[in-house]
Amino acid sequence: MITGVIAAQALHLPHVNYTTIMPELILLGGMLVLLLVSALFKKALPRDFYATSVVGVGVASLIASLVLYHDVASHGPFTAIAHSIDIDGFSVLFLTLVSCIMIVYPFFAHAYLQREGLDGVEFFALPLISGAGAMFMASANDLILIFLGLEILSLPLYVMAGMDQRREASGEAAMKYFIMGAFSSAIFLYGMALTYGATGSLNLAEISAFLAKNYIFGNGVLLAGMGLLLIGFLFKIAAVPFHYWSPDVYQGSPTIATGFMAAIAKAGAFAAMIRVFMATFPTLASDWQPLLWVIVVLTTLFGAVVALVQKDVKRMLAYSSINQAGFILLGLQADTSKGIGASLYYVFIYSFLILGTFAVVAIAGARGDAIHDIDDLRGYAKSHPFLATSLAIFLVAQAGAPFTTGFLAKLQVVTAAIDAHSYALAVIAMISAAIATGFYLRIVYVMFGDGTDTRVSVPAEKEVYSVSPLGQLGVSPWLFTGIVLCLSVTILFGFWPQPLVDFATHAKLLFV
Amino acid sequence: MGSLNSYLPIFLLAVLAVAFAALSLVASKLLAPKRPTVAKEEPYECGIVPTYEPPRRFPVRFYLVAMIFVIFDVEVIFLFPFAVIYNQLGRFGLVEIIVFALAVFFSFIYLIANGALDWGPVKATKPNIGDGAMRTTRGTVRRYGSKDNKAA
Repeated sequence: MITGVIAAQALHLPHVNYTTIMPELILLGGMLVLLLVSALFKKALPRDFYATSVVGVGVASLIASLVLYHDVASHGPFTAIAHSIDIDGFSVLFLTLVSCIMIVYPFFAHAYLQREGLDGVEFFALPLISGAGAMFMASANDLILIFLGLEILSLPLYVMAGMDQRREASGEAAMKYFIMGAFSSAIFLYGMALTYGATGSLNLAEISAFLAKNYIFGNGVLLAGMGLLLIGFLFKIAAVPFHYWSPDVYQGSPTIATGFMAAIAKAGAFAAMIRVFMATFPTLASDWQPLLWVIVVLTTLFGAVVALVQKDVKRMLAYSSINQAGFILLGLQADTSKGIGASLYYVFIYSFLILGTFAVVAIAGARGDAIHDIDDLRGYAKSHPFLATSLAIFLVAQAGAPFTTGFLAKLQVVTAAIDAHSYALAVIAMISAAIATGFYLRIVYVMFGDGTDTRVSVPAEKEVYSVSPLGQLGVSPWLFTGIVLCLSVTILFGFWPQPLVDFATHAKLLFV
Repeated sequence: MGSLNSYLPIFLLAVLAVAFAALSLVASKLLAPKRPTVAKEEPYECGIVPTYEPPRRFPVRFYLVAMIFVIFDVEVIFLFPFAVIYNQLGRFGLVEIIVFALAVFFSFIYLIANGALDWGPVKATKPNIGDGAMRTTRGTVRRYGSKDNKAA
């Protein structure tokens, strides 16, 4: 009976162009193969193998992303798979970014697992799933697909937050992150439902076409839907007042997972958020711009001020990342293509900064992430000159020092705000940046100031890494390579920013 | 579009749900006779007075088995609509569902390899350094209060 009813309607299968989702498929396929291989071998495989594989998978997906970039450059942007996937300069930028994160992350994961004396596929397989989710969010042209991407991105992150079973704080972080994440997903879903009710479609392009054609007076349903979608995104990027989960989660998670989480969740959530608000709700800009104005003020100021009084490095970095999220929102708030270019550039460089920062913090934290007080970094520059210098560079870059990528990032978003005549907002953001400089420099001062490294664990660290010629620096070859990758992005594009700026400013959305 | 009338039933349903829950609670508070006895205060066990305390913590393996069940439950949920319009989907549908089933199967293999179905005495399937990683020299020194104890 049911069969008859359904069969009566002709089934229209969409044409599936697999190359448009090739980067995602590579990540997911790589994850499955890694899981299978790890399951089939009775003995735990060396972490060198896993790390190398993930780097390989990342390189493969980077190549696939660049192939798509070439397509966009030569044929222009297009939609695929029943118009649910957008391949435009914007999505290609994020595909490239996520692939790069995938290439850099395994170096740090390897160093972390080596220090903890742990083996296992989980720290390498889970991020691949997360990365695929972030990619789906960036290229989705459909609210359903954005939601799926959000979940694919988040679920592995919840698990990674709780991976350190020996620390109670890790379990607490996972639980908090999971509950708050599930809550925000529900809010996001409700926003989707209301938006569908108001516009009759879940396809981003169709929604914006509908809104362009029909002007609706007093449409509370649509505004409520948009507001709930906004809250869902703000939860994920931890903007004030939806930031409560982030300091606890950042502090409790294994430090290496925190860094990955900070990079990938921001990339995915900002990608989807910018697309939804710039491409789908441009006609409602007069409604969401004031909202974002308030959010940016709260986020930048709150993040900077509260970070000042933190004692724990990871907690301080959590608040600092709230502050940085405010700056990225600043570009979106401007609602100009220049602002979007600035935001994209910011997201891109911030991913490398935060990965590198947390990698050094993770290694400085000693076994079991035991030592994360800022005071414990006293004398770190003497015992670990290479690591301390790298951390200092990452931190001053986040503060916006010249000759690093952070300078241009801050300059661009603030210029975009000024061009959009949001003078007050630009001033407030700059004040928060000045406050933020205080706590970034505080860590640098502690590391390079007087005092000796009191951590007794230093000899043990040397022992772990002494097999390598880099042991003198207190780093393994993996860690060294990862940090050098992040440093080179930060410094190279700090001196020679044009290619990256061009990449970001040409990352146009398909439907604007 | 434009009229909120179509949302009225949903709103009414929500009001009804809240009212029903509130009414039931209030009514049972007001109407139910309260004559507690020792047997009534015990945790409910099918009306039988329990003879011993139930164990507080259940082995985590039960949850693993439940999760394996959920994995295949989800697979069946996707297989059912596929089976209904199998003929129309043709080769495309078949390939897609095989890829999906393989992905689920791989995760099952992963679970088995990690000992999800081993019910014997607990054995570590992967080298586990256990508490060792918590034991930094710093922590040990703090715990035993001796500066000379620098082994580890």
